Amino acid sequence: MEQVQRRPWRRWVVLVLMIVGFVLGGIFVPVQPEITVAAERLIEEPLFNLGPLGPFYLVNTIPTLVVTLVLLGIIAYFANRSLKKSAETDLVPRGIGNVVEAILEILYNLTEGSAGAKWAKAIFPWFATILIYVLFANLLKLIPGFESIGVLHQVPTGHPASGGVLMPGEVENGYILAPFFRGISVDLNFTAALALIAVVAIQYIGFRAQGAGYLSKFFNTRRMFKVPFFGAMDFLVGLLELISELSKILSFAFRLFGNMFAGIVLVAIVAGLLGKISILPAMIMMFELFVGVIQAFVFGMLTMVFMAQATQGHGEEHAEAH
Amino acid sequence: MEGNILDAMRYVGAGLAMIGAAGAGVGIGLSVQGALTGMARNPDTYGNLLTNMILGIAFSEAIAIYCLVIAFLMLFKVV
Repeated sequence: MEQVQRRPWRRWVVLVLMIVGFVLGGIFVPVQPEITVAAERLIEEPLFNLGPLGPFYLVNTIPTLVVTLVLLGIIAYFANRSLKKSAETDLVPRGIGNVVEAILEILYNLTEGSAGAKWAKAIFPWFATILIYVLFANLLKLIPGFESIGVLHQVPTGHPASGGVLMPGEVENGYILAPFFRGISVDLNFTAALALIAVVAIQYIGFRAQGAGYLSKFFNTRRMFKVPFFGAMDFLVGLLELISELSKILSFAFRLFGNMFAGIVLVAIVAGLLGKISILPAMIMMFELFVGVIQAFVFGMLTMVFMAQATQGHGEEHAEAH
Repeated sequence: MEGNILDAMRYVGAGLAMIGAAGAGVGIGLSVQGALTGMARNPDTYGNLLTNMILGIAFSEAIAIYCLVIAFLMLFKVV
């Protein structure tokens, strides 16, 4: 309460900004951008050819990727500098270094709680990197200007019935809007690449913890000769384990992509419901903030839990439980 | 009425595929209900229950994601 009393003009700033937003939205009517599953091309011609992989297009997730990486790099640089400075003086972290240290400490304690002290050091970098990266990717797309400012393209033939267009954008004089920036987690290429990295890293941690014995999780021949019937059953279950390992890639990639993509579709639909200057999309954006944080947490947390599972062998697990 | 009957059936199929999301909704609701009951009985376990609840939600959500994949495959003529 006291803080509000001290600076009462803050709420008026918010109100004035809201009114300015309403008025500007009425004068410069925004054009509804096209919503497609694939990222839109900023330049119609391919940049260069990758041989058998096909042509390489400049799509609108690449600028966002650059922005995300640069932002993360800047934060890392300043946090590093701040922590070095505090290490030289009095060992008390201040400013951005303090914030980063607090966040990483919470994450490390979480890792230690689920994976145990022995493997926490190996698992933590994967978990924290994926979580922070996906968090930034999810939150950056909420900044105003993303998915709304862009270049105009000539309407392709057969629009909007041509495959790939989920919600047709507004056509103005035969041109259609393709935004400059599109959140990277709304591109299946990004989420699939991250899922592949996560699943490969899980196998790597498993092999590091158990050596070649890790393979017995998939090709389980341990009881094959002692009890033939149950041994064969174990073998089949192991093969199922192999399939579930592959489906992890699918569910990792599509969980993030599906949630984020549903977000932009929802914002577009709600924006279309009540005309151009409705305030409802702002509410949906708040929901998007929530979903973005939760999905980043889930992606990192699942990677960490699967890695913790991979470090425990089949036999050990039973021994520890009793 | 004009247009391709195959296109129409693609949209109908995608809609039908998403019925599976109902099951995921029930699953998520059940896991949240269990976690909330536990939290109400024993508020000290809040943090531990929350992380495990979110994990459980992620697993039941995976089923809805498979439905979404099938719907996308139908919508965009992948197969």
